[in-house]
Amino acid sequence: MKLKIMAAAGLLSLMTTGAYAGCTYENPVPLKSLSAGFEAWKSVTDAMAECGNVEAELDQEFRTKQPAAFAANPSLYHIGGVSNGTVTPLLNEGTIRPLDDLVAQYGGNLSPNQLIRINGQVMAVAMMVNTQHLMYRKDILDDLGLAVPTTWNEVLEVAAAIEAADVVEYPLGATMKSGWNLAQDFNNMFLGYGGSFVNDDSTPAVNSEAGVKALEMMKATTAFMDPEYLVSDSTYVQQQFQQGKIAMANLWASRAGAMDDPAESQVVDKVYAAAAPLAMEGGAPATTLWWDGIVIAKNIPDAEAESAFRVAMEGLDTEMVEGANDEAIWLISGYAPSRMAEGAIATATAEPAPISYPSTSQMGLMHTALGNELPAFFTGERGARDTLAAVEAAYTTAAKEAGILE
Amino acid sequence: MSTPRALRQSFALRAGSAGFLALWCLIAAFPIFWIAVMSFKTPVDAFAANPLDVILGPETRARGHGLSLLDILVGVAVLWLTARLALRNLGGWVQRFSPPGLIALGWVLGAVVFGLGFVAVFLGLLPTVLGALNALAGPLGVPVIGLSTEHYVAVWAENAFYSNFLNSLLVTTGVVTVSLTVGTLAGYGLARSGSALAFWILIIALVFRALPHSVLVAGYLPVFINSAEILRPILGENAPTLYGQPLAVIAVLVSINQPFTIWMLRSFFQSIPAELDEAARVDGCTHFQAFRWVIMPVMWPGVITTGLFSFLLAYNDFLVTSLLLDAQNQTMVPAIAGYFNRETTTTDQVEAVAAAVSITAPLFLLVMVFQRQIVSGLTAGAVKG
Amino acid sequence: MKFRTFAAFVGPSVFLMLLFIAAPLTSVFLQSFQLTQPVLERVEVETCTPGFVTQTCVTEIKTRPLLDEAGNIRTTTEWVGGLSYARVLQLGKVGEAIAAGAWGDILSIDFWKALRFTLTFTLITLPLVIGLGLAIALAVNNAAKAIRGQIIFVSLLPFIITPVIGALSIRWLFIGDGIMTAGLEWWLARDISMFAQGWTIELLMLFYRVWHVAPFAFVIFYAGLQTVNQDTLESAIIDGASRWERLRYVIVPHLMPLIVFVALIHLMDSYRVFEEIVGFSSQAHVISLQWLTYDFLQPDDAGNRAIGRASASAMLTMVGIVILLIPLLRRTWRDHRGA
Repeated sequence: MKLKIMAAAGLLSLMTTGAYAGCTYENPVPLKSLSAGFEAWKSVTDAMAECGNVEAELDQEFRTKQPAAFAANPSLYHIGGVSNGTVTPLLNEGTIRPLDDLVAQYGGNLSPNQLIRINGQVMAVAMMVNTQHLMYRKDILDDLGLAVPTTWNEVLEVAAAIEAADVVEYPLGATMKSGWNLAQDFNNMFLGYGGSFVNDDSTPAVNSEAGVKALEMMKATTAFMDPEYLVSDSTYVQQQFQQGKIAMANLWASRAGAMDDPAESQVVDKVYAAAAPLAMEGGAPATTLWWDGIVIAKNIPDAEAESAFRVAMEGLDTEMVEGANDEAIWLISGYAPSRMAEGAIATATAEPAPISYPSTSQMGLMHTALGNELPAFFTGERGARDTLAAVEAAYTTAAKEAGILE
Repeated sequence: MSTPRALRQSFALRAGSAGFLALWCLIAAFPIFWIAVMSFKTPVDAFAANPLDVILGPETRARGHGLSLLDILVGVAVLWLTARLALRNLGGWVQRFSPPGLIALGWVLGAVVFGLGFVAVFLGLLPTVLGALNALAGPLGVPVIGLSTEHYVAVWAENAFYSNFLNSLLVTTGVVTVSLTVGTLAGYGLARSGSALAFWILIIALVFRALPHSVLVAGYLPVFINSAEILRPILGENAPTLYGQPLAVIAVLVSINQPFTIWMLRSFFQSIPAELDEAARVDGCTHFQAFRWVIMPVMWPGVITTGLFSFLLAYNDFLVTSLLLDAQNQTMVPAIAGYFNRETTTTDQVEAVAAAVSITAPLFLLVMVFQRQIVSGLTAGAVKG
Repeated sequence: MKFRTFAAFVGPSVFLMLLFIAAPLTSVFLQSFQLTQPVLERVEVETCTPGFVTQTCVTEIKTRPLLDEAGNIRTTTEWVGGLSYARVLQLGKVGEAIAAGAWGDILSIDFWKALRFTLTFTLITLPLVIGLGLAIALAVNNAAKAIRGQIIFVSLLPFIITPVIGALSIRWLFIGDGIMTAGLEWWLARDISMFAQGWTIELLMLFYRVWHVAPFAFVIFYAGLQTVNQDTLESAIIDGASRWERLRYVIVPHLMPLIVFVALIHLMDSYRVFEEIVGFSSQAHVISLQWLTYDFLQPDDAGNRAIGRASASAMLTMVGIVILLIPLLRRTWRDHRGA
């Protein structure tokens, strides 16, 4: 027992010393980074730390802390981890710096696809894409002679067939926990039906044909789900997959790796991924594209920004990807897509392609309004039209308070 | 002492009362017992639907982590001995070895030493000894229950949970010390003053106690983050950024806890006859001298009880610490919540359970040691409404 | 005691409370009547984001705040009177609902929904906590001396355990096919989902709170029982009082100040119920007042937070707690005057 711990500790120290060699130089400037805390960020920040003098914070409160901490002068952090949703406040408040010069100097390994450009200026460097797409139990579908569904109507048919065969507890799973998750599931479906969230004058537009259809389709799918779907987040759905309780779900690509982890999963090698289903013929897959990447604070001396960018580039290099290949759909060269990445790639390259989650203040307010008001529809308290009207009312109140609407 | 006849109870009453207690103890302990069991299993077993699978852990056993009957017997015996020592003998040792007047410190030190000793014996010595014994014991030495400490190793060694533990220790010690120092003075002042001002301070403190914390905490964050800029005109270039500073969090927690502390201590001081310090004042003492030489020696039961409540508040706090501390200074509770809120895997969840059990252990020890002091402190009048 | 001495004694404590409680509270009070908005501009922005292979660029009109020379957002702050309160209370909608006789519609407004739950939660748990605490205290007092220590220890566990962890441990027993749910399903021979409907979640939350707080009531009452005057009890026996009468007329009156104390603490704590909402993720069905405030304050992805409405709902929560406390405050006043 003790021996084992010591051996593990020894191995760990060996690995870290070995890893120091992984950085091409030694970083002399103390740097701090703040990001979300999922597996991919762990790998990236570990790779950055190899250069020395980097303190990485993976904080679940980063949404609250990041805008304020970057606005301080000097900024409390040098490097920020953002997604297309959370970059919005930093862009709006102008607390991150353009990276064109630094990219020209140190970003030789970056592909043009990774550079997030706002009005032509590089404001962030993306490292991975993420999307919700269909994961399914290939063994079950094969046994029952069912084809992989490509539209949500087919999903319903296949789910009905699985239910009739009674091979799993629930045919479907979904990340429909009330709040952010439920709203995101609605966003996917709503965009799949070709809806748009706000009009050009920032007034809400969800109370539309597409909105009603999206809600009705979501309601139809819940018939095949665990009745506790309003508390099920991605971890819960992933667990349901791992325990063999569900056969299909529209789940985050970043979750795919865990399906084949023998320590957790009872369905190793049985789960496959396909493109997110279409909501309507000829439409885009009913999902949104996300990216995660790094930004550099504005309120720091240029020299520190330069060091920070160099360190970040070490974190986003091929060597890191090779060590963490299955943790994300990386955009970095050296990434070898595995079986589980097929779904995400098929989704992202579909024609027409799903849109990227819009990074606007209006979308933030709309997301919150949806998250708070939609549960009433699923608990049966309100009809679809009433619910969407309530969403619009909640959005309007919030938008007036934020000064977006008069 | 013989019980008066009328106080003797019918059999039905005694059985009913005992049955009720047994049921309550079961309900009180079961959820905690259950997460303790979960923390020792692989994720597949820990979240199994069949309770027997969770307890016996077939998957965990299949991976070669198990306990034999012998292990269980010895383990239970050691646990029982520990509990017995803590409840019976520890008090005596502390009384004997700590210098008079510093008894509280003696208790803290005693508890820490005892806890470390237990960890050393239970986790360090026992596995080695039993490993050897199991090989000799034949059928008694064959694993019957799956049990693995891998999650504890992962939490404490790989995820550096010890640094969270040290941070918690710092914050908690700070809060208890400052809270009691400031609180005893105020409690004494309030108890001995009959003025309307004292009454209004108490009432306003009561309203403060009722405030929802999330309101206050959200107000601190921007000020704490920008404190260097705000304070620069006053303090010059050395103005600190309060965000992330354990000292700032200690100040916040002490303040949030003041209302409760001063109410409890005031009630306690009221139960100490005012004649005591008046006599001292007649002998020429100032109020402070009277407080120091007359009140302090007799105030410990109430202070210990109040201190325990401060300890619980600081140790268990989530809202303040999660928002106002950065990762380097993070305490244990937000660190555990982090396992759930980020994009977790099932392994993360079981590790979180292991961490949760780990942070409950010191609380166990604390209550074991201070149990009698809590009751006697309360009896002595720390709460009189 | 002279004022100066008094001030020296209470000074540090009062200073801390003023700085860290009263000051934020004042700012919350002021903000509830203010509206701070950024000065916005609408500009055309081209955004290029990555696909898997190639980028897509979109050009759209975006709303974004104007920055001043120092790089800070320009804001305007105006006094808006009760606007934020009106937005939280939505009295217009309440009026419509009353006029239409559809009382249930009031509960679809967040604030009233939260108030309904917070009040029922507080008022249902109060007697349960006091009753259970008293029952345990009496039973423990009745138990053999040798095992009392152990029983007190076990009884205190739910109180000392970190609330977040306590709530999670109960949640795990019931969520999905957690073992308690599985047990209930087996016993009642039907499918049960504890987290699928509002009332079962509420039940779990009530159970958790009583489980968590009853030990506190117990230990206080138990301490009180140690000081019951034996002479009074004996004379009650001589007068032929039954066990129940002794409890009713001797023990409970003796414990009354403690019962008031526990009730006071419990009212304050359960009125700001929050951990349960998060721990049991009950937002879809029930929310509480503190959760509502917290939700207003949580920034969304774009960094928007509803400071005005959060301040208003915080002030309303405070008014509520003061109203609940008035009877107890009057009692304290009487005691103070009497003392």
